[in-house]
Amino acid sequence: MSSRMPRHLKIGLIVLVVGFAITLGLFVDVIGRIQTMVHEKEPAGNPFPPPALPLYERTDPPMNVKVFFPGMKDDVILSAEDQTIRRSGELANRARQILQKVLEGPKSAALYPSIPKDTKLQEVFIDDMGMAYVDFSSTISANHPGGMVNEQATVYSIVNSLTYNLPEIRQVKILVGGAEKETLAGHCLLLPLGMDLSITDIAPPKEQVNHAD
Amino acid sequence: MKRIVTGFVLVILAVAVLLDIQPLSAADNDFLIYFENSTLTLKSQTLDRTVYLPLQEIVRHLGLASTDATGASTFTIQGQNSRLVLTPGSGFISYNDQPILLQNPVRRDGGQWLVPLDFLSQGLSRVAGVEFRYKPGTRRVFAGKVMTTELAMNAQSLGALTRLTLRAGSPIDVELQKETAQHRAVLVLKSRAIDPARERLDYKDALVQSVTFDDSDGMPRLLISMADDVRDVRLTSSDGNRVYFVDFVREIASEATPPTTPAPLAAAPPPRPNANAPTGAGVRVIVIDAGHGGIENGAANSGTLEKDLTLLLARRLRTTLQSRLSATIVLTRDSDIDLTSEARAGVANNNQASLLVSLHTGYSPDKTASGSSIYVMKPDFTGGLSEPAGGRMFLPWYMAFRTNAAASQALAENLQKNLNQALPGWKFPIRFGPMGVLASATMPAIALEVGNLNNDANAKMLAEPEFQAKLTATIAEAIEQFAGGGRKQ
Repeated sequence: MSSRMPRHLKIGLIVLVVGFAITLGLFVDVIGRIQTMVHEKEPAGNPFPPPALPLYERTDPPMNVKVFFPGMKDDVILSAEDQTIRRSGELANRARQILQKVLEGPKSAALYPSIPKDTKLQEVFIDDMGMAYVDFSSTISANHPGGMVNEQATVYSIVNSLTYNLPEIRQVKILVGGAEKETLAGHCLLLPLGMDLSITDIAPPKEQVNHAD
Repeated sequence: MKRIVTGFVLVILAVAVLLDIQPLSAADNDFLIYFENSTLTLKSQTLDRTVYLPLQEIVRHLGLASTDATGASTFTIQGQNSRLVLTPGSGFISYNDQPILLQNPVRRDGGQWLVPLDFLSQGLSRVAGVEFRYKPGTRRVFAGKVMTTELAMNAQSLGALTRLTLRAGSPIDVELQKETAQHRAVLVLKSRAIDPARERLDYKDALVQSVTFDDSDGMPRLLISMADDVRDVRLTSSDGNRVYFVDFVREIASEATPPTTPAPLAAAPPPRPNANAPTGAGVRVIVIDAGHGGIENGAANSGTLEKDLTLLLARRLRTTLQSRLSATIVLTRDSDIDLTSEARAGVANNNQASLLVSLHTGYSPDKTASGSSIYVMKPDFTGGLSEPAGGRMFLPWYMAFRTNAAASQALAENLQKNLNQALPGWKFPIRFGPMGVLASATMPAIALEVGNLNNDANAKMLAEPEFQAKLTATIAEAIEQFAGGGRKQ
């Protein structure tokens, strides 16, 4: 068949095929690049992650804290569990350690984790007025199983664990995925909240009075 | 082939040219200028997408001296110690020999001078000494010291009736003219200068076809076109004549069987309980909130979703309450949609409800637990305010719950008593929490959380119609007692 084809048509056809192959190659390359751009999200995208600073020094003395977890017993929504952190110099680092304990869940089998697993603590910031801004990854809201009591337990396990152990923190503002959210999962307002021990099984600590709200 | 293509291109070009020419001139329309003591109705023209008004009529109405110099083709308006000169085809007008640029040129059509709307504020107000206020998109201008009354309206279907709610910025008198035979109702608004938020309401349902504001003759009124089914229209005023409810009712309310009628709201305001009145005559609107909805499923147990259960319970409760109380029962949602907590409280606030009950099902990480709760807003909730709210000029909206904290708790206690009796074995402790739906409610408000969806036995029971009927009947009983017992104002 090709022997009958005029020469100029043959050349033209070859040029076309070669051109098509080059274009296809470029196209596949571009598509590939776009795909990598789409799939590679921020965590893997940042080639220079900031060095993880230690939350405490080896020389920091231990500090006993009470971490609050849900363990429904009639009127008690949250039960306190004794845990130990290091008394690090920076207040925010003590707060981070306590929140790490909250995220890890209770040691006791009678209590339940208060935060959906896979939730990460993204940022903690404490201002001069004693307001702690704590930012969790959005799974805290998206994977929350719901329920009014259960949601109140999640919110106050964070708020109480911070305010009870660190008197410098007067109120806690929870952020979800770096942004404000009206409620955690349709019930509890995520406005700044103060300690509420009325839903727990312990009395207020001696050295401080119960803050309003 | 070539000819066909050329022809096609020519046709497209011709259509494009025609379309371009079309919008240069549009039909005349009524336009109103509200002065302090009079109203001027003008025929406006839309030229080149700009509204033009006939200048001579306005000048005559204001009693200003003017000269129409045909030779020099200028129009001069004489004010006290000031002079305004207009030239046709030019956006420049001269005020005491100083040029002012209008957004659109002045036009002259035959003997008629046409001015764009911004001429009123840019030019005329200087010589006439009157200010003009205009809201773009409307057909009216308010001049000088005219006090305007803002009017907002919305409508919603409440089952057997459709309610149109009017909200006026200041008290107004409204007269209802029923023309049921012509399927028309006219609401005469007895205030001279009404500034409606919208000219017509984008609302249509089985009873109300259209709601249009009309003041073309200077007498503001609402024209409502109704469907054949409407048997009665009732007008109720509230909030010192600032709020009016217009109810379009499918059936005429029979005095003999008041409990079956959905809402005899027309019972002369203020409604007073008497011996013959159905229970809860003092309670006009009750709002039931079905928790979650849309993408917010709430708690779940395999196929059972909280949002479906709450909607089911809310609808059942509505039916039960409608058969027992004379009040109108409104649901925050009657379909699978997601609402913010603020919006849910907003439904109750906007309907001036006497009561808000939010329905939820629970979830506990403990699979064996079967805890329920009745929630009241946490009384010491401040949402981050460090000082007591009393000293503040602006109270955040989420503090609205405070006015009815005591009544909310009384309601919760009564509901607890009823539920404990009706459902032995179930516990309904009263809890306090920063719940979004309760925070912004301006009436007694509670949230009820029933059962634990993580407990299979609970989930199964919640799905049973007998249990649902018993539950809703008990809630209705508690609401009825609350309504009968009177409400803290």
